[in-house]
Amino acid sequence: MTTQTARVATQEEVRTVSADTALGTKVMKYLTTTDHKVIGNMYFVTTMIFFMFGGVLALFIRAELANPGIQFLNYETYNQFFTMHGTIMLLMFATPLFAGFANALIPLQIGAPDVAFPRMNAFSYWLYLFGSLMACAGFVMPGGAASFGWFAYAPLSDAINSPGFGSNLWVFGLYILGLSTILGGVNFTTTIITMRAPGMTMFRMPIFTWNILATSIMVLITFPVLGAGLLVLGADRVLGAHIFDATHAGAVLWQHLFWFFGHPEVYVIAIPFFGIITEVISVFSRKPVFGYYGLVFATLAITALSMSVWAHHMFATGAVNLPFFSFMSFMIAIPTGVKFFNWIGTLWRGSISLTSSMLFAIGFLVTFLFGGLTGVILASPALDFHVTDSYFVVAHFHYVVFGTVVFAMFAGFYMWWPKFTGKMLNETWGKVHFWMLFFGFHITFLVQHWLGVEGMQRRIADYGVWEGFTFLNQVSTFGSFLLGLSMLPFLWNVWITRKTPDVGVNDPWGWGRSLEWATSCPPPRHNFASLPRIRSMHPAFDLAHPDLAEEDEAEFAELFDESDDSAELVEGGVK
Amino acid sequence: MKAETLVFGFIAAFFALMTPIYWFMAGEIAGTFGLAFAGLLGLIITVYLAITGRSFDPRPEDRRDGEIFEGAGAVGFFPPQSLWPIVCAGVVTLIFLGPGVEQAWISIVGFGIGIWAASGWILEFYRGDYSH
Repeated sequence: MTTQTARVATQEEVRTVSADTALGTKVMKYLTTTDHKVIGNMYFVTTMIFFMFGGVLALFIRAELANPGIQFLNYETYNQFFTMHGTIMLLMFATPLFAGFANALIPLQIGAPDVAFPRMNAFSYWLYLFGSLMACAGFVMPGGAASFGWFAYAPLSDAINSPGFGSNLWVFGLYILGLSTILGGVNFTTTIITMRAPGMTMFRMPIFTWNILATSIMVLITFPVLGAGLLVLGADRVLGAHIFDATHAGAVLWQHLFWFFGHPEVYVIAIPFFGIITEVISVFSRKPVFGYYGLVFATLAITALSMSVWAHHMFATGAVNLPFFSFMSFMIAIPTGVKFFNWIGTLWRGSISLTSSMLFAIGFLVTFLFGGLTGVILASPALDFHVTDSYFVVAHFHYVVFGTVVFAMFAGFYMWWPKFTGKMLNETWGKVHFWMLFFGFHITFLVQHWLGVEGMQRRIADYGVWEGFTFLNQVSTFGSFLLGLSMLPFLWNVWITRKTPDVGVNDPWGWGRSLEWATSCPPPRHNFASLPRIRSMHPAFDLAHPDLAEEDEAEFAELFDESDDSAELVEGGVK
Repeated sequence: MKAETLVFGFIAAFFALMTPIYWFMAGEIAGTFGLAFAGLLGLIITVYLAITGRSFDPRPEDRRDGEIFEGAGAVGFFPPQSLWPIVCAGVVTLIFLGPGVEQAWISIVGFGIGIWAASGWILEFYRGDYSH
């Protein structure tokens, strides 16, 4: 009797399980989803795949550069590899990763059921995937992928100097990618302006949400410029137009258009990740963000300044106004410095727990500081003329971009993994991952500063034995393979924790502040079973620790304008 | 809506200041237009938010004492799922594949399917379970 019952139950179980996990059902779920959390996860998986693809291309580049002479690649393949490495890392990994984090977190942080335009959100994702595949399809075209560098300088990128469908597909694939990013920017701006929960005033939003708003504004202003430039470049290539013809200054026109997009693009992939770092540091220091208003205004200042510094990439053309761009570039150091002091202020006398997430955040602070300092050197034309287009520049932008995007991405992953998946990542493997990545990165790129100063140009496939670049290049190549291997502990970590029990609580870290920690892990379909009352910048913290929240508020009211009379002032003035 | 308006107002003001400075220092056209249009974008959104914000009282999310129940009622319509985004994205890709491989007919096919795909997207919730 019992056996029979058991057998029936098992069959029932099998049937339900197979109905839920049938391949067709699963595929259709992902093809048709409009849920911002699912789309966010799709962004994460896709960007991770492109990150690894771009990384493998980089390993080929480093393997080739380990010794003088040509070993693995010929010149043309080498050019294709560094072009696609740059394009993939900037536009198919870092930029969509911003969309991924924004999707996964913005509605949760402002207490909204979804983003403002769910179908357009899915449309953005699919445009991103198809555009990226189109640009990468160049590899299977006769003549290979684009090989003119990721900034496609005219006239090298025209149909005579770079013939072939691979380059065409690069141009139009990137246009589709740009479209995807613009639609994402529209979506996030609208969501933040119109879908906040009652009581969630602009100046109670988490810093991450503020940073996404700033990023979206930059996207709205600069990506259309890239789109227009690419369509014109496409017209030059396919229809025989002559707009970027060097005979009438078209070459410099392209540089202006490209860098008017290209420099803010660096901030598009930096600012959201500054937001992640702010949240991580605040949670693991068990303190509210230090200097909240200062951080918000610093972010807005960077947003505006980022669009008036583009030609510091063009100092060596001799066709730009050096004082204007040099001065404006130095100006950016001020709000960035403000941010650094705010992060340090948040850590200061906090109760710091060195989780994997926090380690990555501190790794970011170190790495990005170096990148920022070399940036000040490059902003000075007198110094820039000596090292422009050398490995010094390569080292600089890897410190800046890898420092922000990759370190902050993993900081965010380790902290929000339970929010995204319901599972906790393994801390020990996380620390192995961090230290391999940290040493791998610094061994790879620190020595490149010296290579650049000694005179090694960027984008060369080969160098002579007599030039004395060999040793430092071998150090760098060793580091890059260590860096490449550091992905394995992460993937292993994801694999071994995939079937661990769910965390089962709203806030597994215990000191989460912003609203996403006030709902389950992972959140239900429309995010909140019930919303807590929002009376401060950290509603989830107030909900979980009402006693401490009161103390915090009292202290905060003394320090800032949060008391009742000054609240009226804020109401009249800033709000 | 005041804070939202001021964020974009800041963008407009910054570029209103920057554009003439850049023009007088560099005398270069492409950058001047870039800066001016960036400011214009800020101005358009500022004006829109300012005018829209005038037509209603501060929303619960604009007030520091907003209560959750004030946001009760339908927030909006959220499509449960939709196949049209991926179809439309495929069509856009097809249209740009034409110039990519320099075959105009591919784009023409893309425009044809595009009419169907765009109609599908626009009219999706005019019928069926979730029509409104």
